[in-house]
Amino acid sequence: MFQLYKKELKYYLNSPIGYIIVILLSIFANFLFIKDLFVVGSASMKPFFSILPWIFLVFVPALTMRILSEERRTNTIEILLTLPVSETQIILSKFFALCTLTAIGLVLTAGLPVSLLFFTKLYIPEIIVGYTGSLLLASTFIGITMFFSSQTKNQVVAFLLSVITIFILLVLGTDFMATIFPKTILDFLNYFTPQYHLANFVKGIVDLRSVTYFATLVAATLFLTIVSLEKRD
Amino acid sequence: MISLTAVTKKFNSTTAVNSITFNAKEGEIIGFLGPNGAGKTTTMRLILGYLLPTGGKITINNQNPLENRIEVLKQIGYLPENNPLYQEMKVQEYLEFIAYIKNTGKVKEVIDKVGLEEALSKRIEELSRGFKQRVGLAAALIGDPEILVLDEPTSGLDPLEQDKIKDLIKSLKKKTVIFSTHILSEVEDVATKLIIINKGNIAYDGAKPKGKGSVEKLFKRLLKG
Repeated sequence: MFQLYKKELKYYLNSPIGYIIVILLSIFANFLFIKDLFVVGSASMKPFFSILPWIFLVFVPALTMRILSEERRTNTIEILLTLPVSETQIILSKFFALCTLTAIGLVLTAGLPVSLLFFTKLYIPEIIVGYTGSLLLASTFIGITMFFSSQTKNQVVAFLLSVITIFILLVLGTDFMATIFPKTILDFLNYFTPQYHLANFVKGIVDLRSVTYFATLVAATLFLTIVSLEKRD
Repeated sequence: MISLTAVTKKFNSTTAVNSITFNAKEGEIIGFLGPNGAGKTTTMRLILGYLLPTGGKITINNQNPLENRIEVLKQIGYLPENNPLYQEMKVQEYLEFIAYIKNTGKVKEVIDKVGLEEALSKRIEELSRGFKQRVGLAAALIGDPEILVLDEPTSGLDPLEQDKIKDLIKSLKKKTVIFSTHILSEVEDVATKLIIINKGNIAYDGAKPKGKGSVEKLFKRLLKG
């Protein structure tokens, strides 16, 4: 499985696409955070973590969209599926390669907390937990996009379907929904939104319910992706 | 070695392969003939477990590929139709990747066999069609599999390249080889047994007829009939 993982990672590291997406992700994240930093006047990483889901909304599907659709388009999927390797190994190695790339993108934003340390005292474990939550959130989006990528030969279709799905998930957690739904329904819906669970991590709390939420979504999307590969047709 | 019993494959309402039965024994080189859309590629994909049969039974060395997929695939080398390859990879890198997955280190032997030494450091996308075909063939040969399934191994190659691949297939001793082709003379040169498929049905399964042009005559007769 390690060779498959290495092959996927190498593809991104040997082509401009991986660098462009990862670097743009970190530039956007850094910029959107810094632009309001002095206006808000609060030296905290919380605003950074709150904008990350919206940045991931575009960048994670952009990074992931080709992962299976391109294999289908070029028919290299036939090579993979006729080698002595299981569908689960194929999907997990692709998934972990994408998680590694996203983690690299997040590491490139580590300059933010380091520079904030000059202005204020930061509680480092809280930031580490925040980053961990962000990576779990990105993993969930990777899982969703991998599923759509397994359904079509067209990367753009995979990208659009993923963005729409993730957008719906994110919108459920915004104040906008308060104008539509009563509070009881809103509280219920809110529990299913990624922001609700990321918020726990941002506070520095590793809530088992939130870990379960992300793990369940990742497992469900990867399971569906594996099933779609096993179906073959 | 390979046994197909009443195997059917349907795509929605279209029957691509209709209750076909045939066997391939050790050491046989089977020429798998048929017009376009006859069901050759579908049959090969069914043998590999890349497609799932709608009905019937397939066994490879007495193992069911649906139940022991990985064990079965360890015994088969496959060259798919149109030879899909990871174009961005270097030849050596690609062959080592395949070797690692097949759990074997014997890449050098295969490289020598198919004559790929000069292309090892090149990216696959930079290679000529003939060299790409050799890469696909090398990938199929890695791990010294007992069975080789080659879907149009000489397709689009010039006569010299075709001869090289034909010689290579002939040199494979004690292996079961199924290869599909449109070139009837190729079957005369290489095959020890002949299977003709037409509209998803087996039209002929038997010894290769002897004499120059005999395969072509048989093929035309069966397809017209």
